[in-house]
Amino acid sequence: MPDSAPAPRPTPQPDSNPDRMRAVARYSGIGAQMAATIGLSTWAGYWLDTHYRTETPWFTLGLMLLGLFAALYNVIRAVTKEQ
Amino acid sequence: MKRLLLALFCFLSFSTFANEPTATTAEATDTEEFNPGEMILHHIGDSHEWHWFSLGNDHYTTYLPVIAFRPGHGLSTFSSHQLAEGKVYDGLKLEHEHLVSEDGSKVYDFSITKNVMSLMLSAALLLLVFTAVARGYAKRGTGAPRGIQSFFEPIIIFVRDEVAKKSIGPKYERYMPYLLTVFFFIWFNNLMGLMPGGANLTGNIAVTLTLALITLLITLFSSNKNYWHHIFATPGVPKALLPIMIPVELIGIVVKPFSLMVRLFANITAGHIVTLSFISLIFIFRNIGVAPVSLAFGLFINVLELLVAILQAYIFTLLTAMYIGGAVEEHHDADYQMGGGDGAEPAHAH
Repeated sequence: MPDSAPAPRPTPQPDSNPDRMRAVARYSGIGAQMAATIGLSTWAGYWLDTHYRTETPWFTLGLMLLGLFAALYNVIRAVTKEQ
Repeated sequence: MKRLLLALFCFLSFSTFANEPTATTAEATDTEEFNPGEMILHHIGDSHEWHWFSLGNDHYTTYLPVIAFRPGHGLSTFSSHQLAEGKVYDGLKLEHEHLVSEDGSKVYDFSITKNVMSLMLSAALLLLVFTAVARGYAKRGTGAPRGIQSFFEPIIIFVRDEVAKKSIGPKYERYMPYLLTVFFFIWFNNLMGLMPGGANLTGNIAVTLTLALITLLITLFSSNKNYWHHIFATPGVPKALLPIMIPVELIGIVVKPFSLMVRLFANITAGHIVTLSFISLIFIFRNIGVAPVSLAFGLFINVLELLVAILQAYIFTLLTAMYIGGAVEEHHDADYQMGGGDGAEPAHAH
């Protein structure tokens, strides 16, 4: 039988509305930055592949993976950094 | 209410990508006479004349000056009226709102286009408003604000206390002029773009590119030793990994302003595209019954855009302040533990 009494929810921090806005803006910024990192590096790789006419798209693959790594690294660093 | 705003906020930040194909799908289903894709792209683009509205076959247009420079030919200036309806003047013509020469030689276009004109008007308006505000402070000092000054004071205080102080820390004062300028510039231009007949200035990628570039330059020029230390010798990262980490950090420098540029451009452009798409529905269906629904949705999006206008100005300013804050931040120990949050001394919890 699950306990019918609701668990006491942790009282939210007494933060003001601007603080919430700020947090939302910050995290949406981090998300956009992640998308931009992957997109930009993939585009750069694609451009290099067409420029050098490579048979296997190594630049696209490599730069996409680097972009993915960079995006994840930056997200982790940004969210672990205490504001 | 807060939840709703939050959900809306997340939605607005990314709505742009979902809305991007609207123009192209509209283009694909083009009818014989009315081509919504073309109409929308014409509305959000720049042009050499300022078309206000048309009544039947009468077009109410302000013709703006064309200033073109061709190497070997020199400067030519004339009214864009000479180029209207595909006419050729002085060896120049307009091809899809792009100034080209007839013989295919290079043309440098310095024309006062619709966007440039709008930029000048908004700059004049901003100067007018904020010199009045500044005069109020010069006259009354710290006394109670009056008139237009009392409208802008809370916003200025908000940018100072909530954006600059919290993001940059003790050195915030140097950056206040830029932050306030960029905030009011984006806000005013977003609102002016929503007015009937207004130009889509902040939805122009060249304008947002310039704003983002200024942010990048300010960040780079105000960066301290600590900032570069984090990029070229990230604390807590083994030496062997540095060849990978340095490019990753350098990508981060470029991507931050890039995302600023795309966000503002895409949000404003998407808002215009959605509004125009709803209005276009009437002409696509050629049915007056669609009009109330389409107008209601158009009005809803337009009112939403009023919120987006200030929201995007706020986000741009806040993220700019955060990037500057990251560059001027003094070294503290918490960083060496890769985010040991509460290890930081309270002085840095700005």
